[in-house]
Amino acid sequence: MKPQTKVGLMFVGALVLVVIFAFALGKFNPFSDAHEVNLAYNFAGGIEVGSPVRVMGIKVGKVRSIEFNPEFKMPDTGEEVKLLIKITVDKRAWSSLRADSRFFINLAGVIGEKFLEISPGSSDKPELTHGQVIRGEDPPRIDQMISQSYALAGKILDMVNKNEGSMVETIETLNKLVTNFDKALKQLEKTSRDPEVTKIVKNLSIIMSDGAFFSQKLRTPEAIETMALINKLIKRLEPLDGPVIKKFLQQDGIKAKLF
Amino acid sequence: MKDIFVQLEFVTWQSLPVILFCVCFAAVVTIIESSFHMKLVVQNDALVPGFAALLILRELGAVVSALLLTSRVGAGLAAEVGSMKITEQIEALKMLGIDPVRFLVVPRFVACVIGGFLLSLIANLVCLYCAMLVSEAKLSYSSGAFITSMRAFVTFQDLVFACLKGACFGAVIPLVSCYFGFRCKSGAEGVGLATTNSVVVSSVLIIVLDFVLTFLFSHFY
Repeated sequence: MKPQTKVGLMFVGALVLVVIFAFALGKFNPFSDAHEVNLAYNFAGGIEVGSPVRVMGIKVGKVRSIEFNPEFKMPDTGEEVKLLIKITVDKRAWSSLRADSRFFINLAGVIGEKFLEISPGSSDKPELTHGQVIRGEDPPRIDQMISQSYALAGKILDMVNKNEGSMVETIETLNKLVTNFDKALKQLEKTSRDPEVTKIVKNLSIIMSDGAFFSQKLRTPEAIETMALINKLIKRLEPLDGPVIKKFLQQDGIKAKLF
Repeated sequence: MKDIFVQLEFVTWQSLPVILFCVCFAAVVTIIESSFHMKLVVQNDALVPGFAALLILRELGAVVSALLLTSRVGAGLAAEVGSMKITEQIEALKMLGIDPVRFLVVPRFVACVIGGFLLSLIANLVCLYCAMLVSEAKLSYSSGAFITSMRAFVTFQDLVFACLKGACFGAVIPLVSCYFGFRCKSGAEGVGLATTNSVVVSSVLIIVLDFVLTFLFSHFY
């Protein structure tokens, strides 16, 4: 074999290896059959070009490009969104993506690898279209939260330092209140064990039962009728004054019947 | 041109078996040692494939193949040029009006630069493949898991830098070997000394150059 042939074979072999390597890294894929979606974010939480895209936890694509676009506004809501992330999604998972699908930026693995998680939408909603722009869910800003909680903790400490005297007083008062309440509860418990008190409670219970029975009876039609008759009688007796009643009571027949 | 191809065949085709054989063993050692250390330090070897792949691409593949190339090609060049010097063939070339540097050094230099690039590329990728096989057999990582872990660390840029390193190391070998060959003292002892010196100096320069290139390339990450 000629040296030129051997060198040529080496080059071809090297080229084949490079293609295989690029394919393994996902830089080159001639068999790719993926759809593209544009996601709009205001904060991307560290996602990078090449980060995986997952649907229900399964890798179905990757982040193709990240573009800064300060002038961009969402076509439907008019919201200003400054970051456009282009992702690819394999054809096999495309039908799972619907108009109400949500796009989250998540963290996975020991090294905290960032990935884009897509929640599948409901089947009654329409499928997404190729190249559609969708608003993604901005991930929570942990750094901002920490900074805010740090500021809040500072304010609380400041407030405690300023009002230390009154706070101590309040705490002491609360302490006394709790002690008194505890004493009252203990006294109540002690009292409830006294036989006299038990008797009183039982009697009260009987009185309450009787009262309930009486009030129940008062609601019956007979009682209502009786009450109406009494009312009528009182109204009829109303015009009568003292001398007339006296005269009436002093009549012989009445007197005899009463006494 | 034909001379370049002849030298290229000598540098690449003839060196390939020994380089591949050695880098495969280097891959085995890298994977096993990485796993051992990861388990020892962080009690978990989940990151070994990615870590080992990055180590192979950024250092091991290029340096091991360059050192092997030095011991094989560098020693051969120094001995060849040294022999020509003591048998006065170089003087004869000069008398014939042929520039010995142009005639001897240039084809070897071109062949070593291209050969270093090519061999570094092939050695790195074969080393990675070998590491994948070892991690599958020894650490029970499937090839898919190896590639996924590798993707978390490795970029295409790493391979490009490894090839550039290979080309730079390849350039060192003929320059040093021809330098010692042209300054070879008479007798078999002189040739032996030139060969030894060329291998030692080339190896040291490759290690130093590796540091310089790694430092330079680190600015691109």
